[in-house]
Amino acid sequence: MRFDNRWAAVLLVSLFSFGPSVQSSDRQILVYQKKYIMGTVFEIAAYSGSSEQASFAIEKAFHEIVRIDDLMSNYKPESALSHLNQSAHFHAESVPPDLYCVIQQAVQFSKLSDGKFDITVAPLVNLWKAALLGDSIPSAAQQQQAEACVGYEKIALTPPDQISFQSACLQLDLGALGKGYAVDRAVATLYSLGIYNAFINAGGSTIFAMGSPPGQTSWLVHLRDPSHKVGPYVMLSNESVSTSEQSSASLLGRDSAGHIIDPATGRPLKTEFAVSVIARTATLSDGLSTTLLLLGPMQGKSLVNRTPDTSAIWLSPKAQIETAIYGPQILFGKL
Amino acid sequence: MVQWSNSQLPPPSSLGVSDVVFSWKSRLRPSLLANARKQGYRVYVEAPLQQATAAAEEGARAGWTGLLLNIPESERKGTRTAATRLRSAYPKLKFLVLGTIGKQPQMRGSLVIKNDSVLEVSSPTAQPWIDTNLAAIKVEQRRNQAQVPLYTFAWVTSKQGQQRSVTASDYSLAVAEAGAFHADVVLQLDKRLQRALTNHDPEAWALWSQVRSTANFYSDLTDGGLQPAANVAVVVDRLDTRDEALNLLARHNIPFQVFLAADLNAVGVGDFNLVIVFAKPDKVAAEHIASLVTRGKTVVLVDAHSSYPWHSNQPIQLNEHTVSYLLGTGKILELSEPVTDPEAFAQDIRRLLGKRDALLSLWNGLTSIAVGYKDHSGALKAIEFVNYATDPIRVQVQVKGSFTSIRYETPEHGCCQSLVPVTHDSFTEFVIPELRIAGRAHLDSQ
Repeated sequence: MRFDNRWAAVLLVSLFSFGPSVQSSDRQILVYQKKYIMGTVFEIAAYSGSSEQASFAIEKAFHEIVRIDDLMSNYKPESALSHLNQSAHFHAESVPPDLYCVIQQAVQFSKLSDGKFDITVAPLVNLWKAALLGDSIPSAAQQQQAEACVGYEKIALTPPDQISFQSACLQLDLGALGKGYAVDRAVATLYSLGIYNAFINAGGSTIFAMGSPPGQTSWLVHLRDPSHKVGPYVMLSNESVSTSEQSSASLLGRDSAGHIIDPATGRPLKTEFAVSVIARTATLSDGLSTTLLLLGPMQGKSLVNRTPDTSAIWLSPKAQIETAIYGPQILFGKL
Repeated sequence: MVQWSNSQLPPPSSLGVSDVVFSWKSRLRPSLLANARKQGYRVYVEAPLQQATAAAEEGARAGWTGLLLNIPESERKGTRTAATRLRSAYPKLKFLVLGTIGKQPQMRGSLVIKNDSVLEVSSPTAQPWIDTNLAAIKVEQRRNQAQVPLYTFAWVTSKQGQQRSVTASDYSLAVAEAGAFHADVVLQLDKRLQRALTNHDPEAWALWSQVRSTANFYSDLTDGGLQPAANVAVVVDRLDTRDEALNLLARHNIPFQVFLAADLNAVGVGDFNLVIVFAKPDKVAAEHIASLVTRGKTVVLVDAHSSYPWHSNQPIQLNEHTVSYLLGTGKILELSEPVTDPEAFAQDIRRLLGKRDALLSLWNGLTSIAVGYKDHSGALKAIEFVNYATDPIRVQVQVKGSFTSIRYETPEHGCCQSLVPVTHDSFTEFVIPELRIAGRAHLDSQ
């Protein structure tokens, strides 16, 4: 049973203008395709003057996402990440440029968040994943053993492509960043093939809006609202939004393990907030959404302040709202 | 079965289908039906219950094979009596009840572009959303034990603002789903495809050839009386094919069987590890539940407020809405409200089953549903797999039991590829190298 570790979705609405004037002047054709990659459904809706061009570009974008998944999946034994996880302990390994780039960015996030965001948290995630599947809650000894394997400071990066682990049991999991990076690569692919107005959705949790729909200046995206009362939304153009949220509470159990682990406590994060982050790239919004969920609004706002062109909203089921707006405006209300 | 409306029909040997269905609602052309019969088809006509007598009269005269009684979910109660009456009045005709609540099987995205220019992402979900008919089929299996579940559905042809054609993969997935879950589907063929097939269009026949190979994969199946394996009993007070909690149990590959509240006494101790009760048990049923629990079973009682024998035991408050009672070697969990989050509920049920009682688990199988089939002795003999993503995936499988031989077959590659079983702790693991839409694993323990 595979657990998708980034499942909180974003509600999205775009007011397309399919009005006759727009269609007849632009003759933009909408092409939509979806594909199951990285344990979720990737969807691309692209506008183009030629449906063949759009279809070809979307296909190439999906190929690019599959290529990134083949590099960064820790479920595929033959992936570059799996190879690194097997062989980089006290030994420098050369890795493909994409993998190096993502790990480097992950370490940056870790530094920015004082270790709240940590791609080495996998041993703890796996321990609690087993708990989620019905095993008993990890013992103190198991917890301690896993914690000893965690710590981004134990990743040694040597440009341009060398990585080693300064620990015998360090393991990397790029689940909190890989999807965002894959979306950015798909965006680059679409651009390179002449597609400038498109919408890329990675399972609802990370979205990139390229350009705008015909006759519009931006895409309108409704954000996740656990309260169902607030109705937050943003207007995006060449921007990304990602949402993070802890797993739903158990209906029949005493406690839910939850899929997001707080490296500071070594235990599943307890928070009712859903966090949505708007940023210039999907890698940034993806990484920040997990980080800001872990940091909470108090510390999180300070991090958003230090990150240019970025906005964030924390929203609870009781409609408690916290925002940090240093980029696109977050608007409220039913449309 | 294939629903047909075009004025001409290819021969059954080309189409690879023997049962053809015409709609009573559309203007029936007697010559088309007569011609279909002449070509060797078994001719069925789909008719609403209100017009069934008129249709049966016509069918008996014209020598049709039978009628598919199209009865809405809300009117299903009197079905049995009506069908019995028709059968005795027209003994030469077959009368089958057609479930009309089917949905197009598919892996759905969350992006929706509506015709009125609105695009939105649907509700958040932990897994890719699969539209499957498995739960509805299980309900139908209980509702009408004398008939193989039979259903139909309308294709979603307008999607994300685009008009889309039904593809070979769409048809194949629909056929695979019905075949894998031991049900029958009336496949509605796109009118353009019907015309193209009649006009010997090579592209149309290439498409149909793929569908046919999937259909053959199931029609060749001699199941030897195999029955779906289940270790979870779901007890309901009324049969509802749209029940979302059942849908989510199916999507999570939790092998369950549906019972009515009146059947509760039939839920034996040996058969099921876990019983979910969505009905309010009466005194006798409550005693039976207590007896099951005392002998080690887990029972989950949903939104059934009453006074029960086990309430004299010490309650353990698990959360705001759930209380647990230990009884003998088992336990009862009482959820005080209806299931508000079917996804979380399904995950809870899987957790309650635990590793020890998980009959079947898939890794990298988020878009796949697997159903195990057992023989009369209760031994698992086969597993049917359906991949709703329709792109090839590699799936790891774990089944309860020790098996020494796993043979895997698919519509594309036929029978059979030997897979390597790895056995440990009374479980067997194997890897399916490529599951496109349909696959079947034969299990042997000799």
